[in-house]
Amino acid sequence: MAKQYDVLFRLLLIGDSGVGKTCLLCRFTDNEFHSSHISTIGVDFKMKTIEVDGIKVRIQIWDTAGQERYQTITKQYYRRAQGIFLVYDISSERSYQHIMKWVSDVDEYAPEGVQKILIGNKADEEQKRQVGREQGQQLAKEYGMDFYETSACTNLNIKESFTRLTELVLQAHRKELDGVRTRASKELALAELEEDESRPEGPVNSSKTCWC
Amino acid sequence: MVVQAKKRELKEAQRRKKQLEERCRQEESIGNAVLTWNNEILPNWETMWCSRKVRDLWWQGIPPSVRGKVWSLAIGNELNITHELFHICLARAKERWRCFSAGGPDVDSEDAGFSAADREASLELIKLDISRTFPNLCIFQQGGPYHDMLHSVLGAYTCYRPDVGYVQGMSFIAAVLILNLDTADAFIAFSNLLNKPCQMAFFRVDHGLMLTYFAAFEVFFEENLPKLFTHFKKNSLTPDIYLIDWIFTLYSKSLPLDLACRIWDVFCRDGEEFLFRTALGILRLFEDILTRMDFIHVAQFLTRLPEDLPADEVFASIAAVQMQSRNKKWAQVLTALQRDSREMEKGSPSLRH
Repeated sequence: MAKQYDVLFRLLLIGDSGVGKTCLLCRFTDNEFHSSHISTIGVDFKMKTIEVDGIKVRIQIWDTAGQERYQTITKQYYRRAQGIFLVYDISSERSYQHIMKWVSDVDEYAPEGVQKILIGNKADEEQKRQVGREQGQQLAKEYGMDFYETSACTNLNIKESFTRLTELVLQAHRKELDGVRTRASKELALAELEEDESRPEGPVNSSKTCWC
Repeated sequence: MVVQAKKRELKEAQRRKKQLEERCRQEESIGNAVLTWNNEILPNWETMWCSRKVRDLWWQGIPPSVRGKVWSLAIGNELNITHELFHICLARAKERWRCFSAGGPDVDSEDAGFSAADREASLELIKLDISRTFPNLCIFQQGGPYHDMLHSVLGAYTCYRPDVGYVQGMSFIAAVLILNLDTADAFIAFSNLLNKPCQMAFFRVDHGLMLTYFAAFEVFFEENLPKLFTHFKKNSLTPDIYLIDWIFTLYSKSLPLDLACRIWDVFCRDGEEFLFRTALGILRLFEDILTRMDFIHVAQFLTRLPEDLPADEVFASIAAVQMQSRNKKWAQVLTALQRDSREMEKGSPSLRH
């Protein structure tokens, strides 16, 4: 039986309430779109396996609640992520303004070397637009991030942005990945062990290697 | 072949007959329960509610027609909220909505410290969340029959408790209450429910106290389901991953609504302990399959429980959960942990964030 994946890692979706984090995710993993979604409380989980550069990557995606009050809780999850989507809504100036605050939280709580990408969602709502595309590009440039305008509704740039962040994470961990290419039987669990700080010795499952 | 077909037909008929009988029995027992609640228990609430007989009947589920009344009585009204107070709070909320939608400045200086921008954000979030509360039922959304009631209860609460404000998850609790009570009574039950220690800890996101609740939960988890407990530990499946959603919405988002209402029934009777007991009941029910799953599958499973959970099996599983650990009850374990964490805070403040 072919093994299910070569690399496993974790991506996180953050941004204000109602910018469409859950919708982006549902479009990506299930190719579904519902205009009225149930609110996310705490954190929700999805997973998908994609192939990038001939490597089978299983990504776990953590979808967080956006309300400020919840951030005490969701910040605890930043340190478990290898890649983070910062999402705003192009029809909400406020959600765009808040990106700065989200970025500073990431800087404070996420591990060093975490890959970030900026998303301006709801690109289909052109008539309600409050944030210009250039503004998004400008902000992304300032923080050294890639930028996409997406629409979960029309399926614009969804696959592209998820694939891009995946590539970025892969690039950031190229050294460990070379190991995967040469020893094809190995699996790399980027996501697995960084939270087992209390465990004195390395991975229990010796068939998987962890870099963190 | 004909004989076989006939046999099948006969079997099918027998099955249908059985089903019908079962339904009749159920309806009859619900009918009887309604009579008992209305004629015997409710008129003598103070003396009867904690009797053995009532507790047993309660466990089997409160009939929907008396559910709201029983919940109100069991939750109580420690805060002494009157219908009048509700209408005052609602009037203030409406004033604010008008102010913000007109774009005018906020003239209310009474609770300074809660900036106009915060309040506006919170009003907008309520609006957004109402449309995302039980979207499948299509009754709370704009234009739906319960939309205004839900808006009223949540709006009035932010005026009644500006220090707590609106927190995501509240809309689900208010919605379940509205389905069982009229608006003012729903508001009274809502405010009193949120005022309970566990709910206050969560809705104010008192992280230290939440961690204490999780730690207490883990004591009983390990005691009841040691194998699964070890599996969760090994896979970094911390309780926050599934408990936050369950506790914030009192299971109304993750369980089918009729089953969630039955959980609420006993929660109203037994208090916060039952929320954690329910969590253990759910874990116990799925122990075998959960033990075979890795992190992401467990996380996905527990945040999206199967939609066809049979109530009887869930309750049987909850009943089998022992809420005693080394002769200590839930409240005792929680108090001891709270004391420990206070001492730790005093000793080395840097250890906690």
